[in-house]
Amino acid sequence: MTVAHRASIWRTFWTNAVLAPRMSLGFMRADYVFGSVVIVPLTQMVFFATVASLAGNAQASVGYVVLGNAISTVTYTSIFSVCQTTDQEKNHGTMEHLLVSPANRVAMYLGRGVIPILVSLATVTVGLLYAALLYHVSFGGANFPFLALSIFLTTVSMVGFGLFLGGVALFFRTSIILGNIFLFAGLLLSGVNFPLSFLPPVLRVAGELFPLTWGVAAIRASVAGAGLATMLPYWGFLLLGTFASLVLAMALWGIFERRALATGSIVRF
Amino acid sequence: MANASGTRLRALSASTRLAFLSFLADPQWVIPSTIAPVVFGFAAFELYRYAGPVLVLEAVLGAAMMSMWGQTLYGSGWATGQDRELGTLEPTLTTPTPYLWVVSGRVIVNAITGLVGGVLVYLVVAAAYRRPLPVEQPLTFAVLFIFVLLTLASVGVVLAAVYVYTRYAGFIQNFGEFAFYIGTGCMFPVILLPFWTNPIALLLPPTWALDALRYATLPGYVGFSWGLYWDIAGAVATTLIYIGIAGTIFRRVEQHVLESGNLGDY
Repeated sequence: MTVAHRASIWRTFWTNAVLAPRMSLGFMRADYVFGSVVIVPLTQMVFFATVASLAGNAQASVGYVVLGNAISTVTYTSIFSVCQTTDQEKNHGTMEHLLVSPANRVAMYLGRGVIPILVSLATVTVGLLYAALLYHVSFGGANFPFLALSIFLTTVSMVGFGLFLGGVALFFRTSIILGNIFLFAGLLLSGVNFPLSFLPPVLRVAGELFPLTWGVAAIRASVAGAGLATMLPYWGFLLLGTFASLVLAMALWGIFERRALATGSIVRF
Repeated sequence: MANASGTRLRALSASTRLAFLSFLADPQWVIPSTIAPVVFGFAAFELYRYAGPVLVLEAVLGAAMMSMWGQTLYGSGWATGQDRELGTLEPTLTTPTPYLWVVSGRVIVNAITGLVGGVLVYLVVAAAYRRPLPVEQPLTFAVLFIFVLLTLASVGVVLAAVYVYTRYAGFIQNFGEFAFYIGTGCMFPVILLPFWTNPIALLLPPTWALDALRYATLPGYVGFSWGLYWDIAGAVATTLIYIGIAGTIFRRVEQHVLESGNLGDY
């Protein structure tokens, strides 16, 4: 790899990191970021906390539900917005140019994940603040370095999953359905509103394939002050999930790109 | 006069038919009307299931209501947004038929698909629960359910009218969703919320209608102190006010187009 080639990769990475929020990440406008970071965590939390208070289920207390929702709101910025990057390329008519450009695909794809990761970090942080200030969730026993690392790995893993869905969306006319399915599936299958033990075994396994499940578990454990031995498996699954998502995303880009070059049909929206 | 009303009905019928065909052609609308409410319904069901059948019925009602709300919120935004995006807003507004009739056809389809989603939620959760749900007075329940739908449609028409004047329809839809669910007490009685929120919630017709539906359906339900009949009266009054507001805004929109012709700017 030449120096010039390495510089090109970095340029592709940073150009995508800076420009993607304005171009292909349609939901990364300032007003939408404000809504995702400030409004959604609050309203979603109030909704499910009130449901939990009415239910009075000891295993899914208000504190449990509030913490879960503080984390799950990351899905809006990490999956819903990121997976639409492909749609936007098709919609703006820029997919053809992208497919024939020599830009490094890995650098391009990872670059697009930078701003969503930062926004996702802000979303979870604000969600946790709401949980502490409005619902008095105790962080007294929390292991804060572990909590910070868990939040970071969760957001990276979720954005990676969003990029993977963006790769899948290359094949579809729209990725909105895909994004929405995973947006809502997390509320049911990831231990956000009730423990996974409430679910039938099949759905429990499905939930374990979803990075949010491990992120929620890791953040819950670090808030409870768990030690390194408890945390390592959670972090391991999050890292593994991120790696798998990115490998699958790149593989899908490769497959669909070849198909596009062969048939010229992939950019039809 | 007879000709004018015939034209309006024809426009309403054509708009309804076209909106239905568009719904079938673009399945993304299945999400707010079906997938999201089923997920919310199941989440609430898992929380409520050990608290007895009345709360399970509450979850079903809530999810069904959310289905109709979701369809109203998203569909109504698109009811006028589609004209703006496709460049047909001004040509449609310059036709002899009032725009309200065109939009009403789209809102009717949204309401019906929301209703279908609501019924689907009921069937799915009831099947998962495997026990009968204690619906008191099924006939009253059915009538009030349709009534709730009408109150939602009135909000939908107002939203569609307001969306003509804003670029923030998508913002309101995406980020107002949970706020609307909370404000109208979809999954729980509004009286559980802090008292200061109640007057705001009562500005929305579905809040009154849903409280009435719960009074008629849920055994031992405790909602607003004024009870079932005042709930119905409040729902009728606020719905009429909403329809009046929508009519006024649409008349203003038509006037605006004739004067400045720039509503389609996006």
